[in-house]
Amino acid sequence: MKAAIWAEAVKLVGSTVGRVASIAIVVGISVISASMLLAAATTTDPQLLAKLGPVAAGDWHGFLLGAVQITGAGGLGGFAVVLAWMFGREFGDGTIAGLFALPVRRSTIALAKLLVFLVWATAMSILLAIVLGLVGTMAGLGPIGSGTLEALARQAALGVMSVAITLPVAWAATLARSVLAGVSVAIALVVVAQVSVLAGLGGWMPLAAPALWALGTAVTPVQLALLIPFGAIFVALIAQSWRRMQLDR
Amino acid sequence: MTAALALEKASRVFGNGSGIVDVDLELSSGRIVALVGLNGAGKTTLMRVMLGMLRPQRGRALLNGHDLTTVPVAEWARVGHLVEYPLAYPELTARRNLELSARLRGIAQVSAAVDRAIAEFALEQYADRRVRALSLGNRQRVGVAAALQHDPSIIVLDEPTNALDPAGVIRLRESLLRRAGDGAAILVSSHHLDEVARIADRIVVMNAGRLIGDLAPDTPEIERAFFEAVRADDERATR
Repeated sequence: MKAAIWAEAVKLVGSTVGRVASIAIVVGISVISASMLLAAATTTDPQLLAKLGPVAAGDWHGFLLGAVQITGAGGLGGFAVVLAWMFGREFGDGTIAGLFALPVRRSTIALAKLLVFLVWATAMSILLAIVLGLVGTMAGLGPIGSGTLEALARQAALGVMSVAITLPVAWAATLARSVLAGVSVAIALVVVAQVSVLAGLGGWMPLAAPALWALGTAVTPVQLALLIPFGAIFVALIAQSWRRMQLDR
Repeated sequence: MTAALALEKASRVFGNGSGIVDVDLELSSGRIVALVGLNGAGKTTLMRVMLGMLRPQRGRALLNGHDLTTVPVAEWARVGHLVEYPLAYPELTARRNLELSARLRGIAQVSAAVDRAIAEFALEQYADRRVRALSLGNRQRVGVAAALQHDPSIIVLDEPTNALDPAGVIRLRESLLRRAGDGAAILVSSHHLDEVARIADRIVVMNAGRLIGDLAPDTPEIERAFFEAVRADDERATR
């Protein structure tokens, strides 16, 4: 397992996809959040203020709610692209043949990919929360109190919980043997999450529960805990697909 | 003596009718077997079945006497292979790729093995370049080096001379002869009959998914003999 984890970490660190996604998630979401804050501070246009939603309040609470909304869709998309690439690229680059006939099981390689992805996504989520804290402080939102710290922790936790939501992307990239198939499923996940909220499923839909929880909507611990079986099922499906894989296409 | 790697009456046929049928083949220690055939004859499918990349619909594939469905995973540490694409990630340097392969194969002294492989395949000036910046031939050298650097006792290479320059072909030839001399069991597929005739102990001809016979490596005008064998087999099939 150690060798497989090392291999997957080296591939992700060396990749353009990994670097671009890291910057897009941390810098991109921070810049968009800061821009919304700046727009709220400099406009008197009531229509624009209405569009800015909670950010228009110009305080920590509104600023971080705005960041959560962006992370809910944009962060999920960024994570999903990296995960789709980690799995689908082995087929696109033809390196999958070299992952057979090794003293490391392919299911172990797949689990190593997921573990490296989890560590990277957790690091990006914590880094994003830190950068948002710095941006808010520099924007003059005042000292970081316990309520703000809790909101920043929720922001980071949203990123980590998004890992479980993106797992179907890895399975799709494996089954279709394509990065693009994984990305397509990521788009579908975002759409399904939005529709399920509109349909009133709320926290009972695992795809939507983390973002609703981070926004402060009433989501019960049981609803949030559904992420565990949801993630476990897809981890098992991914490991099984890699274990039974044949190069028959 | 147990064959290092073997197929017993192995068949794997795809929906379009291509594949391999009732193939018996054994690789033994110290011998180089060359697999020759036209494009689409089934050479790559045969190698994929041998390496567990495809499961046979009938028959068995065996590694050191173990059916591939039950073989202990550690047994694969003794196998080196390159089938179709080299295990070389474009975003990593040649050295990093070799290190990655070495670790996945459980080599204890990774740096020393990588240095030896770089020297054996004359990759010194390319070692710290990303693979995406290398020529096709040098990528192939990296792939061959990755497949052989752990001194496997079983070697399976699918058209390893593809894209290699003459210097690379000679290095590969010397490497395989040395490894066979040290006891490795080797299977190589190739279109270059003259090249395989220089190194092979046995040349097996494949046509339409079946092994149709052997050519002696010292056969005069070996290409003519190969085409004659394939033509005769095609005629038998159409009768």
